[in-house]
Amino acid sequence: MVRHQRSWPIHLALLIVCLVMLVPFYWVLKTSISGENIFSYPPNIIPRAPHPFYYVDVWYAIPFARYFLNSVVVSVLTIVANVVLNAMAGYSLTQSFPGKRVVLMLFLSCMMIPFQATIIPAYLITGKLGLLDSYLGLALPMFSTIICIFVFKASFDAVPRSLIDAARVDGLSEGRIIWKVMMPLAKSAVATNVILSFIWSWNNFMWPLIATRSQDMQTLPLGLARFISYQEDTTGALYAFCIMVLAPGILLFLLAQKEFVQGLTTGATKG
Amino acid sequence: MSVTAVEPSATRPRFTERRSTRRAVLIWSFLAPSLLIFLLYRILPLGWNVLLSFEAWSPLKPAVFIGLDNYQEMLSDDDVFWQALWNTLGIIASAPVGIVIALGLALLVNSNIRGRDVYRTVIFLSYPLMTVAVAIIWRWMFDERVGLINYVIRSLHLADQPIPFLNSFTWALPCVIAANVWQMLGFYMIIILTGLQTIPGNLYEAAEIDGANSFRRFLRITLPMLRPSLFLCFVIGMLNSVTSFDLVYVMTNGGPGHATEILVTYIYKLAFNQTRFDYAAAITVVFFLLLLAVTWVANRLSGGDVGAVEHN
Amino acid sequence: MDRRKLLKTGLAAAGTLATPAYLRAQSNKKLSILTWNIADQEALFKEEFEEFKKANPGVEIEWLDKKGPDLPAFYQTQLVAGTAPDVIDIQGALWVEWAANGALLDLTPYFQNDPAFVKMFNPDYMSSFVYDRKNYLVPFYVAKTLLYYNKTMFKEAGLSAPPKSFDELLAFSQAMAKGEKTGFLTLNFDWLYWPLMKMNSIELLTPDYKKPAFNTTAAAELLDRLAKSTASGAINKIAWTGRWVEPNGAFASGTVGMMQAHSASYFFVKGQGRWINPDTLGAAQAPGDWSTPTNHGFGVSKSSKNPELAFALVKHMTSVKWATRLAQIRRVLTANIEADKAGLDSVKADDPLAYAVLQTQLEHTDKMTGNWPLANDAQIKEAFWPEFQNAVLGRKDGKTALADAERAVMRVLRRS
Repeated sequence: MVRHQRSWPIHLALLIVCLVMLVPFYWVLKTSISGENIFSYPPNIIPRAPHPFYYVDVWYAIPFARYFLNSVVVSVLTIVANVVLNAMAGYSLTQSFPGKRVVLMLFLSCMMIPFQATIIPAYLITGKLGLLDSYLGLALPMFSTIICIFVFKASFDAVPRSLIDAARVDGLSEGRIIWKVMMPLAKSAVATNVILSFIWSWNNFMWPLIATRSQDMQTLPLGLARFISYQEDTTGALYAFCIMVLAPGILLFLLAQKEFVQGLTTGATKG
Repeated sequence: MSVTAVEPSATRPRFTERRSTRRAVLIWSFLAPSLLIFLLYRILPLGWNVLLSFEAWSPLKPAVFIGLDNYQEMLSDDDVFWQALWNTLGIIASAPVGIVIALGLALLVNSNIRGRDVYRTVIFLSYPLMTVAVAIIWRWMFDERVGLINYVIRSLHLADQPIPFLNSFTWALPCVIAANVWQMLGFYMIIILTGLQTIPGNLYEAAEIDGANSFRRFLRITLPMLRPSLFLCFVIGMLNSVTSFDLVYVMTNGGPGHATEILVTYIYKLAFNQTRFDYAAAITVVFFLLLLAVTWVANRLSGGDVGAVEHN
Repeated sequence: MDRRKLLKTGLAAAGTLATPAYLRAQSNKKLSILTWNIADQEALFKEEFEEFKKANPGVEIEWLDKKGPDLPAFYQTQLVAGTAPDVIDIQGALWVEWAANGALLDLTPYFQNDPAFVKMFNPDYMSSFVYDRKNYLVPFYVAKTLLYYNKTMFKEAGLSAPPKSFDELLAFSQAMAKGEKTGFLTLNFDWLYWPLMKMNSIELLTPDYKKPAFNTTAAAELLDRLAKSTASGAINKIAWTGRWVEPNGAFASGTVGMMQAHSASYFFVKGQGRWINPDTLGAAQAPGDWSTPTNHGFGVSKSSKNPELAFALVKHMTSVKWATRLAQIRRVLTANIEADKAGLDSVKADDPLAYAVLQTQLEHTDKMTGNWPLANDAQIKEAFWPEFQNAVLGRKDGKTALADAERAVMRVLRRS
């Protein structure tokens, strides 16, 4: 049944919302190319004399390439570990086994522990493992995340039993069942996990601050301190920096958009 | 009577027993890596905090057991704790606001209009932005002297004096919440959107045939089927906003006074500015219990055991 | 076969990824130095370190710099883990807390062995780094509050010279407050606002630092006067609610008559306020010549494995040669008497206004307040400041606020 909808009110509402969402971005972008001190009043809407030199400043003010590389390595480690560990854990939760309720409760409550309260123990533990100031140490706390475990679980729940049973009859081991049968059907869960773990790992600031000492192990967000350090004078360079840090996340989202949206589906409606 | 004759009834229980133990072991081994990470970085730290909350300790000095003294101080002697608790509850209570807005957006984007992909992307853009960056830009937008919002308000002659948003005891917290909602809106919307898209269309058609108008269809079909999404949204939203340390710290640093102090920033300041790790640990424990309680209540309200926990 | 090779390469890769970077570097003696928010002086420090390394072959220097809010978190984590940096640059009163907790090395024996070194520094600033009769820090760079005043606004209000008493301060503020313009604001972090109290003879604690001394009728009256002035716009509200950017920004916009802040503000404000020149901006002492210092000093960690070497590095960085360079480049005072003289001379020619500002930092160093050696300084601030804020913002009357503050401060003092 085709419903006659007047679409322009919807478009209008959405456009207004998009405007609200984009205005802060516009300002970040504008200041990054014009450097108009954002403490001047009244604010200019159109930048005067835009130039890209703040981006150059950022590149030279901090060892941008090195920090970027560090962030990339840590994020890739995190993403790979996340997908593997969360898929395995998610699969386990689709099976019934003794102690399942306890595990579920445990997972839920682990979400309730704020990072700020774990800084010192996390540091000490990482130190005991000998992983301070290393890529592995930086990535380790984020190797598995509970939200994504549940996303995988829901995605696996949606795989028809018939397929799994057929695979069992064919004599496949559990590991192969996950790899050959379930993962291909859970592409969206994988995409979701990739995007979310990337965003969380890429933007992580507090843990790299505490866990690294040498200059060349620092990740990108730590470079932020350089731009709002002495005298807190926020300038175009700070905003250019924010845009440069933001770009990979958005790029990744655009690439994996379709799958990502579907991925959160199955996480939401299973009951 | 052949000795080698195998009796099915005798062997099958053993076979399945061995098989099910093997399966249990296998499943636990799949869970093990994740459990290990959580043990190291969540559970052990929580344990550290619990132990510490019953002690008096400062770095380089041995710990002294003091029983419930920290808790007693927190509950009877600490105005800041109650303010921070109140603010935290306020933030939790405001999570539904963001979710309702996201619900509206999801409904709009879900309708058959052109360019919904574009709308969806634009609305999600705020999520990958570093929270510190979000805090900086919104701090500017709310600035009393040079902020964009005051500029707009005064240009439209809605007020003749600039409004001190972040310096006002009444406006500061709502402003922080607004910035948080802005950041999370796209994320909520996508969760709800995908929930919407799995509701079978024929349910709506059947309801329409029965004469239900769009509002009733929304109330009777959409909302109930969205309960799991909404619960998930609420839990994630609550956890995110309540632990949005960077946002509060950079935007207002808990000020003015302690008007925007939340438990997480208070814990951090106690631990690292005042070197009171022991007291901060006690507050952490209370905070943890609070979140558990709220999640349990939310779970009940959304129909019990949906989304995350499964009936066996 | 394949799987095994994969496993081996995987483990090898994991091994490299896991080896802490600083262990990979080979060195005989390693000194680590943590500085507070001074990353902009990278070039200068590199030179200093090179010279030190040449004089001490085989020494590696690891330089860490952290932003103000992050440094305590970083440092304390390192402390708990037992890997605190050898040399630390500390701002404000945090050093007292760490000294009281036994994290810092008592430098008195080093001072006694080297009286010539000690003589290089301004004795008042030196003595502000003493706790429990022990010396803990060597001055790195120092500043204290002064009164900036907007000469244009003064002229408009018919005022010719900066206020000489607290009453004049309030009166002048009121005279200049019109419409969007306000008369006075102050920075309020650490104890930078305390000169206002001290010029009215109000003390925070008793001389033995054991009991609060501020809950007096005089203090309550003062708070009520401040509240009244704030409500009428004579004192800008930002004085009590702002951090760094808001108050300095407000003064830089040219709409505030006077600002009490330390020397660093001058450079921030000058960057934003195009109206600033010697004819429009004045620098003076606050009434009564009272000021609160906000100093940076170098301390040595007790857990340092090379304390002599660490102290040698401190001496090197605060020597006349390098202190002069710092004073000249960063336009700060170092409390190193000769370095400051040289630094001031170089500023005099370029920027007479900066010279006037920096000159105030050397005057009346015997009238510094707000720099008590309190081991739980942060907690006392937390107990006192919110109530003070409540009073001056009119949320509570002075008497009640002070009584509440006294209770809170008592609790903190009892705990220690």
